[in-house]
Amino acid sequence: MLGADSTAERESREALGAWVVRRRRAGPVGPIGRMAPAFLLAPAMSLLALFVLVPTVLAVACSFFSVPLTDSGSWRWVGLGNYRTLFADPAVVRALVNTVLYCGMTIVPSMAIGLGLALAVERAGRGGALLRTALFLPMTANLVAMAVVFRWIFALSGGVANQLLGYAGIAPLNWLGDTRYSLLSVALVGVWRSASFCMIVFLAGLATVPGVVHESARADGVRGLAKLRRVTLPMIRPTLVFVTVISVVMSVQVFDTVNVMTAGGPQESSETVLTMVWQLGFVYFDLGRAAALSSLLLIVLIAISLLRRRAFAGQA
Amino acid sequence: MTAFRVLKWAVLTVAVMVSLFPFYWMLRTAVAPPDQSLAGGIPLWPSSLDLSSFARAWTQGGLGQAMLNGLIVTGSILLLQLLTCIPAAYVLALVRFRGRGWWFAVVVACLLVPSQATAMPLFVGMNLAGLADTRVSLVLPFMTSAFGIFLLRQQMLSIPGALIEAARADGIGHVRIVTKVVVPLVRPAIAAFSVFSVFAHWNDYLWPLLITRSASLATPPLALAVFEQFDKGADYAALCAGAAIVTAPVVVLFLIAQKQFTQGLSGVELPG
Repeated sequence: MLGADSTAERESREALGAWVVRRRRAGPVGPIGRMAPAFLLAPAMSLLALFVLVPTVLAVACSFFSVPLTDSGSWRWVGLGNYRTLFADPAVVRALVNTVLYCGMTIVPSMAIGLGLALAVERAGRGGALLRTALFLPMTANLVAMAVVFRWIFALSGGVANQLLGYAGIAPLNWLGDTRYSLLSVALVGVWRSASFCMIVFLAGLATVPGVVHESARADGVRGLAKLRRVTLPMIRPTLVFVTVISVVMSVQVFDTVNVMTAGGPQESSETVLTMVWQLGFVYFDLGRAAALSSLLLIVLIAISLLRRRAFAGQA
Repeated sequence: MTAFRVLKWAVLTVAVMVSLFPFYWMLRTAVAPPDQSLAGGIPLWPSSLDLSSFARAWTQGGLGQAMLNGLIVTGSILLLQLLTCIPAAYVLALVRFRGRGWWFAVVVACLLVPSQATAMPLFVGMNLAGLADTRVSLVLPFMTSAFGIFLLRQQMLSIPGALIEAARADGIGHVRIVTKVVVPLVRPAIAAFSVFSVFAHWNDYLWPLLITRSASLATPPLALAVFEQFDKGADYAALCAGAAIVTAPVVVLFLIAQKQFTQGLSGVELPG
């Protein structure tokens, strides 16, 4: 039983484990035994190479060409030409700024709400299952259909959002039709979805904290925020790293919610990088510029992840 | 303490209402008589119930076939992803070898690539391979998941390395360690990943839209989109009824899986 495991016992077991490993290393290990990890890793890695890395390299290569609209035309090398015209396009610059704003409005709130809800429902006892299901539902939403619902909730006249503002004595807003509020409306739906995602991952992480940790914290009188900061968060650090990375990636790559709610409008006020990529590629069929914009996005994401590696250096 | 509990339940109540409201509105629209399902400014409760939109959604949308397609596609994807992700995550988290950090960096790099960037090359590739508009093309690109490897690897990091090394020293093979030790310990994460994978591919819209043309291959979102594209104007009640039908299996799956989320290490007996 791990629950009954004292620190001394664990240390002695670890020491024993290390000793046995040293003994074992000295002896002969068959070639198959040494190759086993490679066999376990190979399927996933080769599939990732084939279906993610190769297409990415092709897309990046595509960004240096002017790609013709029809099959008969030939590709023309334009070097960085696609990138230069991107920055000259105010709509693209707007999309870049919007994506940064969207990240600011969604990442931290989603993670904070998700963690709070996970802690609250973790020990909800009876009814916990129902609570978790209710709070998880936003993740299951089918956006094609949900778009209809959200357009109503945010409707100018009679929409629920404005009815609620009315109770608070605030004049109705044109949520989706006003260039000032369209991005905010999309971000609210974004938080609605991603907070429930964060909650589930935090729940899975919290479940791996051994019960003995909670007991000893209680015995030491560590409670509330102090327990969260000094005991719980350090225990679920790998989960925290995971949620941070995925939240950033999900916010930077926001697409579905924008596409179904506002399609980037009005007047590019809620256009994001990926809705722009989609427009350039599959509406205007300017594949070279679409590839250039998605390559730029990729460079930014890689830069963020390198910064993260530095920030979390050596810790998962 | 009591004030804290009251606050906690107040916050939970508000959170549940916010999460559920759009779903309530979806059902409300589905059961309202047609004249009440249009336009804004409608009351919170429908004046009378009309369940005909469910039948309309089922027959006109071909939802039976679409849900069967969705089941086959998401089921195959989940099975293949678990078979490839669990061993890879195990090796990246718990087996020491030279270059492990680089392989993990490759997984993280794959995570950063937006699917919209690779959609076009994959589309062209599938066409060249003659696989476009087949069920295989719906499954093939998703046989493994960088997200899954990352999630499972992070959870496996909390398993003591000495436990694995001791098991290795006893001459237990990697495959048995994975099935007998690692999988039971990270069951909450496996359940969470399964739910995410199923809901992502059950609801995936863009890739099926791009790669399939035959109505017989339509997945649930494609079938739903049919209602939005009716020339005579969208049938909102049927769209919402269809959405409710399509969401139901995912919710049931979550109800089954969610027991795992709170049964973690604290309740698992370690072997040996």
